[in-house]
Amino acid sequence: MTNQPSNTLSLEPIPTPAAETTRATDVAPAPWATKPTMAVSFTGVTKRYGAVTALSDLELQLGAGSTVALLGPNGAGKSTAIGLMLGLLHPDAGTVTVLGQSPASAVSAGRVGGMLQESGLPVGVTVAELVDFVRSLYPHPLSRADVLAQAGLADLAARQVERLSGGETQRVRFALAVAGDPDLVFLDEPTVAMDVETRQAFWRDIRGFAAAGRTVLFATHYLEEADQVADRIVVLDHGRTVADGTPSALKAMAAGRVVRFTLPSADSAAQRAALRALPGVTEVAIHGDDVTLRSADADATVRAAFAADLPLRDLEVTGLDLEAAFLALTSNSGSSASSHADHEEIR
Amino acid sequence: MIYVLSRAAGPTVRPFVALEIRRAVRNRRFLVFTVGFPLVLYLLYTTAGVATAGSADHDPIVGGMHFSAYFMVSMASFAAMSAAFTVGGIRLSMERASGWVRQLRVTPLPAAVYVVGKVLVALAIMLPALVLVAVAAVVANDVSLPLQTWIRLLVSIWLGSLPLVALAILLGYLFDVEAAQAAQMLLLFGLSIFGGLFVPVQSLPDALATIARMTPTYQLADLGWRAIVGQTPDLGGVCLLAAYTAVFGVLVAWRYRADERGR
Repeated sequence: MTNQPSNTLSLEPIPTPAAETTRATDVAPAPWATKPTMAVSFTGVTKRYGAVTALSDLELQLGAGSTVALLGPNGAGKSTAIGLMLGLLHPDAGTVTVLGQSPASAVSAGRVGGMLQESGLPVGVTVAELVDFVRSLYPHPLSRADVLAQAGLADLAARQVERLSGGETQRVRFALAVAGDPDLVFLDEPTVAMDVETRQAFWRDIRGFAAAGRTVLFATHYLEEADQVADRIVVLDHGRTVADGTPSALKAMAAGRVVRFTLPSADSAAQRAALRALPGVTEVAIHGDDVTLRSADADATVRAAFAADLPLRDLEVTGLDLEAAFLALTSNSGSSASSHADHEEIR
Repeated sequence: MIYVLSRAAGPTVRPFVALEIRRAVRNRRFLVFTVGFPLVLYLLYTTAGVATAGSADHDPIVGGMHFSAYFMVSMASFAAMSAAFTVGGIRLSMERASGWVRQLRVTPLPAAVYVVGKVLVALAIMLPALVLVAVAAVVANDVSLPLQTWIRLLVSIWLGSLPLVALAILLGYLFDVEAAQAAQMLLLFGLSIFGGLFVPVQSLPDALATIARMTPTYQLADLGWRAIVGQTPDLGGVCLLAAYTAVFGVLVAWRYRADERGR
């Protein structure tokens, strides 16, 4: 796996009906893989904490100018990956480079900004003072007005930081991450502690920042954030990449549609077998009379269900949202991922 | 010395020190313990007769100088130690716990500037407290010293407080916020009492006086007292101060590296 070419898109080849994110040799390389300068490159990176392996032989190439979501459940290795990219952690094996140099030198050259999880602000300063201080550390910072505007803090410049709300504090932390006008920004779960409205405004700011050609990498377990903001999503689970591609490719990869209906006395061995035998069905979940099927070919499934004269009611066919796709991906890791039919339950 | 240290630490040290001075000066603990407490205690002891109650002489000779000058050095030493704890100690522990130190490490600020900067800030913010005690001595007690003695006094207290600054920084690296709070109070007053800052060593029993001579606080103040009477610094005392600085400094470096490695 480590011998794959450097533009390999995913660590684990994930055989799915959708070929958008299969091996790079199969399809034309995606734009981010062909750009000459890699914003971030992980080569065979392993990181352990004692007996716990946080990242396992991770391969990851992120091109400049993209907005990438690092998606995964708690403990997937997202924060570890970001710690490595910022030089806060050192890999046990493999190498991490950022903008073609070591993470530490990229940081001290002022080309990188970071917003860490749960990093507090010092007491006894105003927002403007703190922003100015961080600006002064970088060779070519944004102007104070720009920073405050970018982070939506223009009205809070004179506020003491200890008087800020949780969401406002997050905005200040974002302001500090971008104050030096870095080429590359890492955000570790940036919207924690924000309400829905603040969160939307925040992502508008991030999009604005990324629009100027900067690379933004953020970790999240909010799936809709990854879906809406990122142009590439890397799904981590147990320290490995389990999927990697555009949001639509990921959705397609998790395949198919969801067919829901109620079926009296569905929860019997015979009915279960009958449902499984329907064409296109990859997973069956039954809760009382409620049946949820995942199908690679919903039309065929529904047609066959009616043809078999199943007494079904309340039929509903929906596309998979990213959440479902994500759950399918992460619940599959560990097994060979070759057959979704191994799973009885969708949720 | 500030100049030398700041040159050595690179261009980012100035904004860091400026920010930290601003923060320290706004800290209520700074106003109370570093500026207010030594000044009030000095005035109480030397003008209200608290220390000399029952004695006919309002300004007795202690250690070869008037008590008003002697106790000025004592309180200046206390202010210096208190300034060190304002910068290190609880506050440093809080900054590590909150993740602010980690946040600084993802900026171009060289990690060492955080520590070197803290030392500079401690030296800088003790200055107003030292000046206030000195002004009180001059105005209230007619203490009069040649200019070079004042300068030697300031340099003595700056250099002599380095082990205390290192100790305060070490405290912030060793303890969580609550433990640092307790340790800080204990050290601030323990080192003052046992170091003879509140009661002159000359009036302590022999056993306690021996202990006092082992403390960095006594040796710090002794540098100042010797400046006033025009004696050369005590070699043993200077060595002790240097040894304390080295030991605390090495311990700080050790804890600091542990932080660097990512816990």
